[in-house]
Amino acid sequence: MNGRTLLDTAAGVDLPPQARRLGYVFQGYALFPHLSVADNLAFGLRGRPRAERQARVREVIARLGLGGLADRYPRELSGGQQQRVALGRALAPDPELVLLDEPLSALDAPLRRQLRDDLGAILSDWGKTAVLVTHDLAEAYQLASTVVVYANGRAIQSAPRTELLWQPASEAVARVMGIRNILRGSVVKATADGIQFRWRGQLLEGANSPTRSYLPEPGSALAFYIRPEYVRLIRKDRGGPDAQHHTNLMSATVVREADAGTVWTLYLRLDEPGPPAQGDYDLEVEVPKLVYEILEIPRDRSWQISIHRGSIQVLPSA
Amino acid sequence: MSAEALTALWLSVRVAVVATAANAVIGIPLAYLLARRRFAGRGLLDLLVTLPLVLPPTVTGYYLIVLLGRRGWLGAPLYALTGWSVAFTWWAAVVAATVMAMPLIVRTARAAIESVNPAYEKAAFTLGRSEWRTALEVTLPLARKGLLAGLVLAFARALGEFGATLMLAGNIPGRTQTVPLAIYTAAQTGETGEALWLVVMLTALSGAVLVAANRLGGRAP
Repeated sequence: MNGRTLLDTAAGVDLPPQARRLGYVFQGYALFPHLSVADNLAFGLRGRPRAERQARVREVIARLGLGGLADRYPRELSGGQQQRVALGRALAPDPELVLLDEPLSALDAPLRRQLRDDLGAILSDWGKTAVLVTHDLAEAYQLASTVVVYANGRAIQSAPRTELLWQPASEAVARVMGIRNILRGSVVKATADGIQFRWRGQLLEGANSPTRSYLPEPGSALAFYIRPEYVRLIRKDRGGPDAQHHTNLMSATVVREADAGTVWTLYLRLDEPGPPAQGDYDLEVEVPKLVYEILEIPRDRSWQISIHRGSIQVLPSA
Repeated sequence: MSAEALTALWLSVRVAVVATAANAVIGIPLAYLLARRRFAGRGLLDLLVTLPLVLPPTVTGYYLIVLLGRRGWLGAPLYALTGWSVAFTWWAAVVAATVMAMPLIVRTARAAIESVNPAYEKAAFTLGRSEWRTALEVTLPLARKGLLAGLVLAFARALGEFGATLMLAGNIPGRTQTVPLAIYTAAQTGETGEALWLVVMLTALSGAVLVAANRLGGRAP
């Protein structure tokens, strides 16, 4: 668990659910179908004075924008309204922590996006800690300040969301996150400032992690990744590449491409002998559609590429 | 139509109502335990409750005599203590009807409870409810159609109980002679008019119960 797990269940592991004081939003919501919205919201308030219960339900209805729906039954609500009732029911007793189990997984894409924004707004308005379980990295990134990555039942990284996105702790984390262009080279020289390594006949240099300096032995294997949107294609109409601006220079050919709408994905193969690193290509490169058109990529398939040393992310092993 | 026949009808209704109430109180908790809990003896309990469904009613009635008769395992101590025995009283008819109808309520209610999504119960637990409160407020209300259907079946079964009642309660006109027993007696003694009248009454009563149950069961939500 690398000692940085955020949710410490060790103390509460034997407590029955009734005593945990956790709000829980179930996958599929599990709203009580035989109770009205108001009764669902009041369910966790049993034992409190009637006036307090009513006031609390009114407050939740107002804060979650459920006005006019108090007497409806769950089946009469839209997906978004159901989500808000489920959230309201969990939050009404004012738990110390609210757990959300894949709250958006059952929805289709447009609704999912809207409800994700709603969910974020409601949770930040409430100001309580929420733990959200999801398989969708974009969802985790957009809703969470800290992200814990689990694989095979173990936490493999716990970090602020930007650190996770830009500095995954290991190759395993990078793979779980669906990062592309995860590659392997061999170390030439590692210093606290940067790591020089060899890959596909090229001598490349990447910046070392500012938070965890990683110093592998020369000759050892090194995992790294290059984000597809950070590979630069060098324009031919502006003179040759310039050592000041263009580091990690390579020549490559576009072997395939895919139109993803506003961006194009190019599959590049280095002009080097030997089998490419990822099937029939070495690098996946993403360019905005506008750039794709300006550079006339459909016509011109051979390119010099460069990668800024800060855009080669080293993945420490173990 | 004789006064005896009317007495039999009134007795049958009282016996069926009390037996159904007893089944609601005993059978529904049993159904809940069988549906939601795993415990030692669960299979045996299931078997015991279901047996009256497959055994000849006279066999079940015989067991009830062994258990509750004046010299029975439970009946003897009760008689020694109070001088009263359940055998050959209208309570014997209630006991016989309850035991014979119990498989119907337990099996129907159990299936209804098992079909309730456990996520609702887990949700109630996280909102602070005990298992007992959850059963009362969530599980049983969500299973209510099945529970109602089971109670109706049990009522109809209790109304028509014959064999076990005859064994434990006897066939005493005015005391333990329910409609099925009165029909048997009337048919045996050649009072065909009386028998027909009772047959029509019992059929109408059972039919009315089923229609009422369908109406209730079909009502939302």
